[in-house]
Amino acid sequence: MDLTRRDFLALTATAAAASILKLPPKPQQEPQSAQAGGEERVPVMCNMCGAGCGVYLVKRNGIMYVEPNLEHPQPGLCARAAAAIQLWNHPLRLRKPLKRVGDRGEGKFQEIDWETALNEIAAKLREVVSKYGPESVVFTYHDFYAWHMPFIAFTLGTPNHVQHASCCHNASTYARMLILGAGGPPTVDPDYERARYVILVGRVFNAAMGMVHRLKKAREAGVKLVYVDPRMGNAAMAEGEWVPIIPGTDAAFLLAMMHVILTEKLYDEDYVKKFTNACFLIKPDGTPLTEKDLGREGADYVVYDLDAKDFVSYKKAKNPALEWEGEAAGVKVRTAFLLLKERAARYPPEEAEKICGVPAETIRRIAREFANARGVIEDGWWTSKNANDSDAFRAVLTLNALVGSIETAGGLYIKLGSKMPGSATAAPDKVTTITGGTLPPITAKRIDTLKYPAVPHVFDAVLDAVLEGKPYPVKALIIVGTEPFTRDANTEKLKKALKALDLVVVIDVVPNDSADWADYVLPDNIFLEREELADVKWTPHAAIQFSHKALDPPPGVDARNGFWIMMEIVRRTVPDRAKAVGYTEEYADYHRFEKFEEFIKKKCLESLSKSWNVPVEQIERALEEKGFFVFQYWTPKKGPGARPTKSGLVEIYSLRALDFKDDPLPKWKPPPYTKPTRPDEFYLVNGRDQFVTVHAIWTWSIASLVDRRVWMNPKDAERLGIRDGDLIELEGLDNGFKARARVKVTNRVREGVFFVYNRAGGRFSKLITGQYEVLKEGINPNMFTLSWLEPLNGSPSLNSTVRVRKVGA
Amino acid sequence: MRLAHLWNQATCIGCGACIAACNAANYKSTDRPNPTWRGLQTNIKRIVFDRELKPHTLLVQCQHCENAPCVAVCPTGASYIDRDGLVKIKPELCIGCKYCMTACPYGMRWLDPVTGLPNKCMGEECQDRIKHGLQPVCVTVCPAGARAFGDLDDPNSEVNRRLRGARVIRLLEHKGTRPKYFVVVGR
Repeated sequence: MDLTRRDFLALTATAAAASILKLPPKPQQEPQSAQAGGEERVPVMCNMCGAGCGVYLVKRNGIMYVEPNLEHPQPGLCARAAAAIQLWNHPLRLRKPLKRVGDRGEGKFQEIDWETALNEIAAKLREVVSKYGPESVVFTYHDFYAWHMPFIAFTLGTPNHVQHASCCHNASTYARMLILGAGGPPTVDPDYERARYVILVGRVFNAAMGMVHRLKKAREAGVKLVYVDPRMGNAAMAEGEWVPIIPGTDAAFLLAMMHVILTEKLYDEDYVKKFTNACFLIKPDGTPLTEKDLGREGADYVVYDLDAKDFVSYKKAKNPALEWEGEAAGVKVRTAFLLLKERAARYPPEEAEKICGVPAETIRRIAREFANARGVIEDGWWTSKNANDSDAFRAVLTLNALVGSIETAGGLYIKLGSKMPGSATAAPDKVTTITGGTLPPITAKRIDTLKYPAVPHVFDAVLDAVLEGKPYPVKALIIVGTEPFTRDANTEKLKKALKALDLVVVIDVVPNDSADWADYVLPDNIFLEREELADVKWTPHAAIQFSHKALDPPPGVDARNGFWIMMEIVRRTVPDRAKAVGYTEEYADYHRFEKFEEFIKKKCLESLSKSWNVPVEQIERALEEKGFFVFQYWTPKKGPGARPTKSGLVEIYSLRALDFKDDPLPKWKPPPYTKPTRPDEFYLVNGRDQFVTVHAIWTWSIASLVDRRVWMNPKDAERLGIRDGDLIELEGLDNGFKARARVKVTNRVREGVFFVYNRAGGRFSKLITGQYEVLKEGINPNMFTLSWLEPLNGSPSLNSTVRVRKVGA
Repeated sequence: MRLAHLWNQATCIGCGACIAACNAANYKSTDRPNPTWRGLQTNIKRIVFDRELKPHTLLVQCQHCENAPCVAVCPTGASYIDRDGLVKIKPELCIGCKYCMTACPYGMRWLDPVTGLPNKCMGEECQDRIKHGLQPVCVTVCPAGARAFGDLDDPNSEVNRRLRGARVIRLLEHKGTRPKYFVVVGR
């Protein structure tokens, strides 16, 4: 008898008994799978992190696992996606709505039914809204339901849907806005496929795996990768160069590279003249010279044309001067290029070495290699590290522009938008929704941009409003699939604010720490349990994807679609407004709610069909069969077309920055935390690899792959008599916070620096039990920080400095 | 037929997809800790050489040796080299004596906490996948294209294609095991 191992093993009932609900036709381009009898494949957008990679949930031989959707414009996958089933049937999954019975922070709850939970929350919200206005209600979230959030918040009447962004990408987003007129991190990225030389500043390929797929071609062609980072990420252990840098000094390193490229004339002069505003003439007050200044007609910015030997509108110049200074309109003017050169000259490699700790010769060599290869520097995603990061990424974009690497082969691409419509728009005169609803305008201003005007989604401003009641009170917080304790800075302030609020609701899958501080905890679906139509991010192409519902929640888990949860809260709070956007009591029936989702999907597809002139049926068929549809493919060009900057050019001298009274050129500023000076004082930096996200970290696969120890350089360890595995206590130099962790002695971190994975350890929720208590090991680095925020964009420093003491072997 | 695995250390980003996918496909995403290796039930072990001057990772799994010590020591013939060149276990013959676990110089067998019998690459699902012309799951999921699987006897196989012109090492060759797990360390 041919007995297989499977017959021998006791089957785990849950996984085997689960049914895949929707079975789209097998993709025809997979002849191999056709032979594999009984295989089912459901196209899904992975949501173990925010990248949304294209994957399939596969069911073969009664086993479920995840495979990449290789035809998808952004195919997966990493360990997080591979561990998705462990999240689905996680033993600590929130199973029923919970109501707090102890004090906030105690983590004591009783189970209640959905109806009671939703009614009680709505009753409290009605009270808050009537007393303080709807703007006193804030939704905070990460990527889950990010598309739906304006619809939900605006229907309730609050402008305050405040994402995680400040603690993620506000610094680089500000840089992209100033120089390229671009938006968030997915709008610009390296053309990895054709890249020759890639510099990653504090980046490790930790999220969108489609980028790694695209990099394969470049690897075959011999691309060089350079990782500038105080610690060596996983990817840096493969072929590539690691440049260990002192934390918070990236801008100095980059400006020194710029100095080398400018003084050695390694830049692409034609590109710089044609596609950037380097030739603009700048007046002594920092503003650009215009035709108006010269008493001429028109208001165009002016350059000096070497052929015409005169000042000419930059739009008409034939041969604009890159390096020119002289008199114009009675003042002395100089080209933006000269000003940039002067700025970079403050950072000769030898001076930069003193700041960033990278040898001057290394800076020179990398600058030359980068320029000669027409390399690309990654434009930044998670950049909330030292509260000075926006300058670093402004330097990054400027360097890319100098070597002609924007919208060119192997440079940065500017993503083609999918034209996916928004769920709701708040105009000055009214709110309109995708469902065709109209509401009166929301008069209150966003609480974050009142304080940080350049880039929205600064949660720290919410905490300030809770505690100070200014500029207006915030009384209710709904935390959706995100975790402020491992996301945001200044834990003490967070705790104070959570105590002060009238209502705290957590909607989540697993008990992240803020659950302990909530009045109500509501169990959410994971991505496998709901449908979602979404933009395909992290690809240059214009595409959308449809994540199919592949599974029901496992037995005993009464989780609901978070969109339904929030709409039910909103409807029970403001029924008339909900009705005005087409959401009626009918949808309280969870099964009827699918009709509402279908209606929204139909509206989106109709809008996309119209925008791209493609029949709805054609899009729908592709979404059904393959899970995605590409509207337009990006191809490399000679340079960018008109950009939504003030001049339409790449602004190496940012005119938008002048509007914010910010420096039009990048510079290096020291980070805000106290500098370590004594032998037992260190930088505490945190970072990621493919393991770190709000939900993935809970799976046993990821919990086993990630390291919760504090990394320490062998030289530091030897000096302090600390050995691998020792127990140490860290004390924040600025906030005195203390926590203990085990040490890993490794050459993967620079001397004088400690590294820990973000979100991985130092958890405290009382709802964490059993083998998952490992999540309580290690430290949460955010707890050592204060509200050190960049003034305009609110990007905090999640790095800090600490004193170390050995407390055990 | 001599089926073999290849892993490219020079392009691996260390994302762990192969490790987690092995657990999902072959061990039904179980979260029961691995009693032998701790952590996860999976057939791939990640070793990080932190103290090297240039730190690096090694992913280790069953080497499907042509001179396999685990097969040599097995008293019942449960461990054997199949006609496809893969080292496999017949569970109906296995008495759980663990000689194979001790004999494997790579330490690539671990004890199943439910059956009390050794597990190793390839797991059941991966064996079924290759029977149906699919790749082992670790190869399928790798975003970096760092893995390949194929027949060393077929000059056109992906493994042979990648071995040509690459700098390759095999692990603990001096043990005389004739391992069929190829680690590409550069071009």
